[in-house]
Amino acid sequence: MSSRHSRPGDQAGQSRTFAWLIAPLGVLYGVFAVLPLGMILRFSVANGFENFRNIFGSPLLLRVATNTLVISLATTIIALALAIPVAAVLWRSGPKLRSLIMAFVLLPFWTAVLIKNFAWAVLLQDNGVVNGLLQAAGVGPFTLLHNRLAVLIGMVHFVLPYAIFPIYTAMREIDLRLENAARSMGAGTAEVIWHVILPLIMPGIAAAALLVFIVSTGFFITPVILGSPSDMMISNLVDYYVHELINFNNAAALAVLVVLLLAPVIVLQQRVGKRGQYGVG
Amino acid sequence: MSASRSLRLSGHALLLIAAAPILLFLLLPSLIIVPMALSKSQMIQFPPEWISLHSFADYLGDPQWVDSTLLSFQVTIVAVLIAAVTGGTAAIALHGRSFAGKGLLVGLIMMPIVTPVVILALGDYLLFAQLRVLGSWVPIAIAHGVLATPYVFISAQTSLTSELNPALVRSARSLGARPISVLYHVYWPAVRPGVLAGSMLGFAVSFDEVVLALFLQGANSVTLPVRTFSAIQYELTPKIAASASLFIVLALVALALQAFAARKTGRLS
Amino acid sequence: MNSAVQPEKVSASSHQAGREVEVRGLWKSYGHGAYVVRDVSFALQRGEFLTLLGPSGSGKTTSLMMVAGFEKPTRGEILVDGRDVARRPPEQRNFGVVFQGYALFPHKSVLENVEFGLRMKGVPPAARRRQAFDMLEKVGLANFAMRKPRELSGGQQQRVALARALVFEPDALLLDEPLSALDRKLRESLQNEIKELQKRFGISILFVTHDQDEAMMMSDRIAVMAEGRIVQIGSPSDVYLHPATPFVAGFLGETNLVPGTYRGTDEGYAVVDFKDTARGRARLPADGRNLTAGEAVVVSVRPERVRLLTHQAEPNFPGVVADCTFLGRHTRYSIQALGQALTVSVTEWSQTSALCNGAPVWLGWNVEDAQILSGPEGALATPEEIIR
Repeated sequence: MSSRHSRPGDQAGQSRTFAWLIAPLGVLYGVFAVLPLGMILRFSVANGFENFRNIFGSPLLLRVATNTLVISLATTIIALALAIPVAAVLWRSGPKLRSLIMAFVLLPFWTAVLIKNFAWAVLLQDNGVVNGLLQAAGVGPFTLLHNRLAVLIGMVHFVLPYAIFPIYTAMREIDLRLENAARSMGAGTAEVIWHVILPLIMPGIAAAALLVFIVSTGFFITPVILGSPSDMMISNLVDYYVHELINFNNAAALAVLVVLLLAPVIVLQQRVGKRGQYGVG
Repeated sequence: MSASRSLRLSGHALLLIAAAPILLFLLLPSLIIVPMALSKSQMIQFPPEWISLHSFADYLGDPQWVDSTLLSFQVTIVAVLIAAVTGGTAAIALHGRSFAGKGLLVGLIMMPIVTPVVILALGDYLLFAQLRVLGSWVPIAIAHGVLATPYVFISAQTSLTSELNPALVRSARSLGARPISVLYHVYWPAVRPGVLAGSMLGFAVSFDEVVLALFLQGANSVTLPVRTFSAIQYELTPKIAASASLFIVLALVALALQAFAARKTGRLS
Repeated sequence: MNSAVQPEKVSASSHQAGREVEVRGLWKSYGHGAYVVRDVSFALQRGEFLTLLGPSGSGKTTSLMMVAGFEKPTRGEILVDGRDVARRPPEQRNFGVVFQGYALFPHKSVLENVEFGLRMKGVPPAARRRQAFDMLEKVGLANFAMRKPRELSGGQQQRVALARALVFEPDALLLDEPLSALDRKLRESLQNEIKELQKRFGISILFVTHDQDEAMMMSDRIAVMAEGRIVQIGSPSDVYLHPATPFVAGFLGETNLVPGTYRGTDEGYAVVDFKDTARGRARLPADGRNLTAGEAVVVSVRPERVRLLTHQAEPNFPGVVADCTFLGRHTRYSIQALGQALTVSVTEWSQTSALCNGAPVWLGWNVEDAQILSGPEGALATPEEIIR
């Protein structure tokens, strides 16, 4: 099922077909993806480097950038920790149980992030369900909303399915015979996990981590609905420049900065995501 | 039962116990929306004390909210059509070919997913402002089309790889089929499941989308998510829960379709 | 291949000799009353090479997996030197297992793969590295110790899998069709290597294959399996020259099966009448079978044991050549005789050119080269030749 190179004789007609087939994408992206980015670039350097100096000079940038980094990292770590057991239980369960558990993962996956955040806002309010349960257990009530905690809850909740899928896929690709081979040589469950399973899912975990991190950095809605102004993230800052300060040039400069910073991470994620399992004979 | 067999079983049980709270955490928010909408109170309340449908009546009786709902469907349908055509043809175009820079091209196709939406939103805002079409729903639909294309592309690509027998193209051509015929008779059946699955994902992406629609909104083009977003921040009423229920219904439909498709092909996503 | 000479039973070298593994009354069902293994019993002697041979679905791999511990028997015992291990998980049985596809850990080096079993036993790093290295030298792969499995060829991976399974001195070596994916030359050379290893280490080996040539070449004894049961156990020559049933006769090599009627004994030989011929009477070894006069039987005679003559000589049967094919090593004839098509295989050159297409011939064989067979529970196999 691997892709094959076209034979020399095929080339002529094939190139024309290729051109026609790739045209829709070329036009759509050319006009509505590349051009917008070009506009951003144009606006960002319209005043030379002044706009860049502006945003660097603003104290907001440092705080927002730190927020974004800290929140994204925390989200990634927590999401990975929670994703591994779920992926594992999906992997080891029989078909019926697996379908049921999958439904638990898929329903939130298909639900709009806006709605999920809304629900968390209701659940986490001072007289909400979570505080109710905590008080029943004898603790609290705590302020669970409009702070960093709520933002993390909302973000982890959103990215969790995105972390679970690559890890689950990596687990599924493990050859069962490797486990049998290890057991035949005396390995117990802990040893099988340590020597066989964990090393083999590392690429999947790395891919999941990068994906989750990148997605986390771009968050917009969650900090607004669940966070406080001190939880502002980089997307909110761009919005702030556009809609509050009405300074498009600064907004564009900020956008360029974000792209430049994220680009290497994105490239890394694409590479890691492609690496398959260690080649096996 | 042997000692190890029970150990093996309890290992699985341990895993379930560890995963259960996480699964509950995942499902909880989606579960409370509809009960919230059924609450009789005039405030957002969960758990509801009395059941009533008044929030739905409020929602459906508010012309702005109804307009937004219809607009969202309109925008999304157009966006999905754009994405289906664009992503599908691109997947076919790149199938089975290797050339220098293919990886780069695929990476570029995937860009809308990995870059923060706000960047694209800003660029589109500047572009459409320049073109003086801001305020119409069409820019939103097109922008959503761009956003949804990568999803269709990946899905179509996967579908082609597993469904298309490379020998079929050769046989069709050896039997005299010209490119259009090959596309229709060989490629389309193979790519169709992927395009459908990707379109479903694209539908969800577009319908739920806030940031692009926020930047590109106009007086008459406020999508449902944007209106909900503002309402959540400024005017918390039960209407919100009612419209949120629509999103839950859509999610359930998607889940059902996915399960149905999986049963048909015997595969789980 | 047909030699009656047994391969030498090995005596242990400095390496620990294998143990006796006895399987008693193994049954396996996956539910719904369908059994894939029925009442399988055998005893793998110390240092013996025993092969489970059969077509797919015969239960041979399931039986091996039960011995290894990856399948739980529905009923039965698995005894190692008299102790029942059927309840123990695989990691507590001391067997070396070589899986189809080798199952080498792709993320570990060759050396780390080989030393894994020692590591699980708690052997300290320096010692286990040395033992693993020694083992790699014995299989000629010492230079590959630091490589990853994917850098090795199929044959080399096979040897690593063997080294890995042997290094921790298991009670027995279990091999599940390890050579079926390899091409012929490689397969033959690895067969030799495995035999060599067995001779060197004196280890007990339980081998599963569907390839009868492989089984004949390597085994001290072969257990022929079909539909979950062992149909016959014996040395290669036993099973080949004295098959118990038409199935066994047909599975190991080719044979001609001719139906007939038992008439009684004559000077210690059994006498069988063939149908549809005037002179259709043969004398056969009685083979200790309990037969009643008038009972329907099947006579098995292998194509290479049938002699073709251009003239009649008692006691022979007349026939007509329907087809002849030159195959290099031998010529194959399809001959209408005794009311059916018989296959005859001839290695002599002188007759080939003359005999073909309609030529009248006479068939004969040595009395000892044919056997009387009856099917399972007295039923007869169909009187057509069973081709491998």
